[in-house]
Amino acid sequence: MDTNLVVEGIKFMGLGMGAVFLFLSVMIFLMSIMSKIIHKFFPEVQPSTSSSSSGTQDNQKKIVAAITAAIKFHRES
Amino acid sequence: MKKNVIKILTLLMLFSFSSVYASTPVADTVSPEVSTKKVETYQVQSFGEMIAGFINSTGISSFISPSPDELSSHGEKMSDFHKSWGRIIMILITFLLFYLAIAKGFEPLLLLPIGFGGLLANIPIAGIAGPGGFLGIMYEMGLANQFFPILIFMGVGAMTDFGPLLSNPKTALLGGAAQFGIFGTLVGAVALAQYTPLFDFTLQQASAISIIGGADGPTSIFIATKLAPELLGAIAVASYSYMAMVPIIQPPIMKALTTDAERRIKMSTMRHVSRLEKLVFPIMVLVLAILVLPDATPLIGAFMFGNFLKESGVVDRLSDTMQNALINIVTIFLGLAVGSKLAADQFLVADTLAILVLGIIAFSVGTAAGVIMAKTMNLFPGNKINPLIGSAGVSAVPMAARVSNKVGMEYDRSNMLLMHAMGPNVAGVIGSAVAAGILISLFS
Repeated sequence: MDTNLVVEGIKFMGLGMGAVFLFLSVMIFLMSIMSKIIHKFFPEVQPSTSSSSSGTQDNQKKIVAAITAAIKFHRES
Repeated sequence: MKKNVIKILTLLMLFSFSSVYASTPVADTVSPEVSTKKVETYQVQSFGEMIAGFINSTGISSFISPSPDELSSHGEKMSDFHKSWGRIIMILITFLLFYLAIAKGFEPLLLLPIGFGGLLANIPIAGIAGPGGFLGIMYEMGLANQFFPILIFMGVGAMTDFGPLLSNPKTALLGGAAQFGIFGTLVGAVALAQYTPLFDFTLQQASAISIIGGADGPTSIFIATKLAPELLGAIAVASYSYMAMVPIIQPPIMKALTTDAERRIKMSTMRHVSRLEKLVFPIMVLVLAILVLPDATPLIGAFMFGNFLKESGVVDRLSDTMQNALINIVTIFLGLAVGSKLAADQFLVADTLAILVLGIIAFSVGTAAGVIMAKTMNLFPGNKINPLIGSAGVSAVPMAARVSNKVGMEYDRSNMLLMHAMGPNVAGVIGSAVAAGILISLFS
């Protein structure tokens, strides 16, 4: 059985490059559809930075208050 | 309460006794041969004989006059050259790898473990790379079954940001074109086997060699262990050393194929990519792989798992482990296990030379194909692409993208190509995983 390896190699190349390009083309297609859908139906809400930072500040104030209360309680007892 | 405890203890004791009695006869029948081999009987010998025996067991004596019945890690006979000078040459080669890794900074994370593994594998008598040695155990544990490359892929997935690709999807085609390096070299390798008497590669071996052109270490190792484990050492060393040499190999090819005006093309700024897009993308690609090419899903699945955990944003601990602790541990094991294949009897063969040459051709062809693809895409209407990012289509993340950026900056200081080049770069990883899946499917 004498197969011409080069011919086999070229067949591999045809199939391989074809499949890689097919895969990536479908991927590109799906990617553009996906981003269109997402931008249309689920637009990203820009989180307003001011409110969140004030929220954390509030939390920090509460934490500081709790710590001072705990220390005071500890000293008194 | 106490009674119960006593009851349980007596039961346990009974059980353990019975199991001991049950197991002893079995052990006797199963391993008479093994036990006779392992028990080394001590024979009384004179002091002179003892010294002679000790001298025979030194490394010096086994380098100079190797014992005729020492077997390779595969349990095959080795030639005297491979046992004496071959080992010394291999040890010197590992020193060269150390030099390249430490002084020149060539992929030290992998070349150092691989080099040291090679050093250990070439020690006579100790048989560290053999079935019972610790390198042999590591090889069996994670390389022979392609486990370590998959774990590395998980970590790489957790480190990858698909944002640049999502903001400019068509650059993924560049990552596809660069895979021409793989298949072009495949044809070259089988042509060598067909028309020269020197080399005798099978299609499997040719495929394993050509995957070096994918410029993706874990994929190369995955394919090599699957299709041609006897070539693993040379393929892994070629793959990682060429990846380290990307900044030297690529720029001349990129400059030769582009005009000055093309190198100065400025690409439009990238759009913002929402978090949801990044989260859906890995699942989408995986589903596509499931439908089109299930043979590629071990690699793509692990890759997308890592990426999905990272983008989910709720399991930072896991994604952090994959990006750091896990990938570091696996890199140590993988490097040492690959190094065990640098034993003289497997590396010092004519095939290695062909692999090194074919590997660099694969790299160069892949680079050129990416650049030419970018030039072809510029013939069509739409946003122009700077052809310099085409070379980043060979995976080699993020080195290839950095090279595109650096070459671009040489011609226009204000032209930042790095993020644009990351798109084809990560597409190249997907592309080479797909190519790997095709090669596997062709042989199964």
